[in-house]
Amino acid sequence: MLASLSSAVPGPALLDRRLVVVTGKGGVGRSTIAAALALVAVRQGKRVLVCEVNAQERVAPLLGGPPAGPSAREVLAGLSTLNVTPRAALREYGLMVLRYRAIYDAVFENRLVRFFLRAVPSLSELVMLGKILHEVRFEEGGRPRWDLVVLDAPATGHAVQLLRVPRVLLDTVPPGPLRRDAQWMQALLVDPAVTAVAVVTLPEEMPVNEAIDLDQAVREVLGMPRGALVVNALPRERFSAEELGRLEAVREAPPPLGPAARAAWLQGVRAELAMGYLARARAAIDLPTVEIPLIAREAWDLKAVEEVALWLEEALARHPAAARAASSGGPA
Amino acid sequence: MGAIRDALAGRRIAVLVGSGGVGKTSLAAALALGRALEGGKVLVCTIDPARRLANALGLASLGNRESRVPEEKLALAGLAPGGQLFAMMLDVKRTWDDLVARHAPDQAGRDRIYRNRVYQQLSSALAGSQEYMAMEKLYELATERDYDLIVLDTPPTAHALDFLEAPGRLLDFLGNETAQALLAPALSAGKLGLRLFHLGSSYVAKTLARFTGTEVLTELAELMASFQSMYDGFKNRAAAVRALLAQPEVGFVVVSSATPASVDEGLYFFERLRADAMPIAGVVVNRVTPALWPGGGPTPPASALAEAVAAHFPGARPGPDGLAARLARTLEEHETLARADAAEVSRMERKTRARLVAVPRLERDVHDLASLSRLAARL
Repeated sequence: MLASLSSAVPGPALLDRRLVVVTGKGGVGRSTIAAALALVAVRQGKRVLVCEVNAQERVAPLLGGPPAGPSAREVLAGLSTLNVTPRAALREYGLMVLRYRAIYDAVFENRLVRFFLRAVPSLSELVMLGKILHEVRFEEGGRPRWDLVVLDAPATGHAVQLLRVPRVLLDTVPPGPLRRDAQWMQALLVDPAVTAVAVVTLPEEMPVNEAIDLDQAVREVLGMPRGALVVNALPRERFSAEELGRLEAVREAPPPLGPAARAAWLQGVRAELAMGYLARARAAIDLPTVEIPLIAREAWDLKAVEEVALWLEEALARHPAAARAASSGGPA
Repeated sequence: MGAIRDALAGRRIAVLVGSGGVGKTSLAAALALGRALEGGKVLVCTIDPARRLANALGLASLGNRESRVPEEKLALAGLAPGGQLFAMMLDVKRTWDDLVARHAPDQAGRDRIYRNRVYQQLSSALAGSQEYMAMEKLYELATERDYDLIVLDTPPTAHALDFLEAPGRLLDFLGNETAQALLAPALSAGKLGLRLFHLGSSYVAKTLARFTGTEVLTELAELMASFQSMYDGFKNRAAAVRALLAQPEVGFVVVSSATPASVDEGLYFFERLRADAMPIAGVVVNRVTPALWPGGGPTPPASALAEAVAAHFPGARPGPDGLAARLARTLEEHETLARADAAEVSRMERKTRARLVAVPRLERDVHDLASLSRLAARL
């Protein structure tokens, strides 16, 4: 077991990489997990950036701050967020390549050219990914600007589309600036010392199906290092089968027992189903599993994310790769 | 019959919209089954059904074609429909290819487009392409078949309502006159094999090529050239699709779950539909945790449950892990989730003022015909 886990996770512990890509099916809580991972890393003293991709921003508001927009903005001490948009990323990228703003404006602020940019295969993905990976490798004063970049990636299919762009370009584009960019981007994405993908799922049928397909795509299409499978909102088995059988029989009893029995029976059914899907995900995906229990809260705010972060921290500490890193003294 | 099926009673087309992971596919199948049970000839067109739901609908291996859900399957689930239920899975690439075949002047022109790499990208991966084809297929089905009701499950879009904008955006691009002018030298050089410098002395084109490489622009020019003769056909068709969607015989159903993020997205869909004067049949908030504690006040502590537990569960242990304590904790958590969900449902209700159905989270996943019919009863 240990051997298979460590072979699935070569390289340093999840949060000791420079880039953690968080993805999974829509609605599984990717942004919450991305925000919580960032909180854990900040507690370890890291400077962290969370990137969202052309999204209605969730991470900064979850952490209690205003949306960051297209340039990095600190929301908590040591934790910044950023929403990468194609337009802003293209502008930044264009300026880097062309060097002169006037030329850029003449070319790229042209309405017609923006039509092209939408149709030219994958250009907007390229510039957005380029912006994010630029943040990953950017150094100032001899050290990286960010110890960790957490990419709150789009849902499954769109994430694969985004992350495979460098490889597609390497297959199709002749030598030139574009190809050079694709080269360093691809090298960074597949380096297990730098990058890891964390797949988030719920213990339900469709999210687990999608997580299994996604994990396969990460291995076979993207060739990226995989870090962890995060099973979110997991209801724990709390009642024995025998208790559940008897609780089912008193569901219609008057309060307080009836409603309590009904809640317990629903919880039990849900937990049993969830355990089945968890087992299926584990059997199909040979990654360390991080289980985040279902957290009952009325509002999803910083407190809720902190609670998720505590569970993550505990699970990551149990993680063999994390233990290995800890025994060797961890990051400088 | 619930409020949503009531609102759809006189309509021929139902379009379900909402973000990914909210259960649109199951709801679409349930709405279709509901109408079929009442006696209609109904089609549900889905995008990416769960495997067991696909099996339940007999969709195991069929792509882009309608197939009837066998009567035996329905009978096995204890259902005796007065009508007929059909199902199909949308194949985006095939729909694009069919559309091109429909409008291409000849076979050579069609094959030239099929081989074009920009087309291949467009037809499989370009943002909005799926949405465009979902609408295209809907139009074909609505005009060429005689279903009493077609229920369309829309793809999980990266951006809300791409499906309303995507056709116009893609066509604007493919038929853009200025773009054609820019590429004109390349177009006229078409048959000789294109080189970038044929794009002319245009600085814009040359600079673009520094980003994209020459081949991409060349293929793009070729695609636009091939597309020219078909442009009017595509455009008329897209206008017809758009006009169809605005008809009162169509009903959009906005679907969300009860999480704040999902309700936000649902509200965005709703506002956009309203701004575009699209006919909205109603809103479904799916998988809502039902309140169980009467009156909604504070739930009882373990001590208040101890007596009843002792009476019904002789031998149950007391203490912090005893049955009474676990029951109290579970009920409290359940009610917390129920309050959170109720707040989101009422936010949705307040902001839309539309017909709204809150579907409680069902004990089991919905992926057989019997559970679909139970779901239909709530809609």
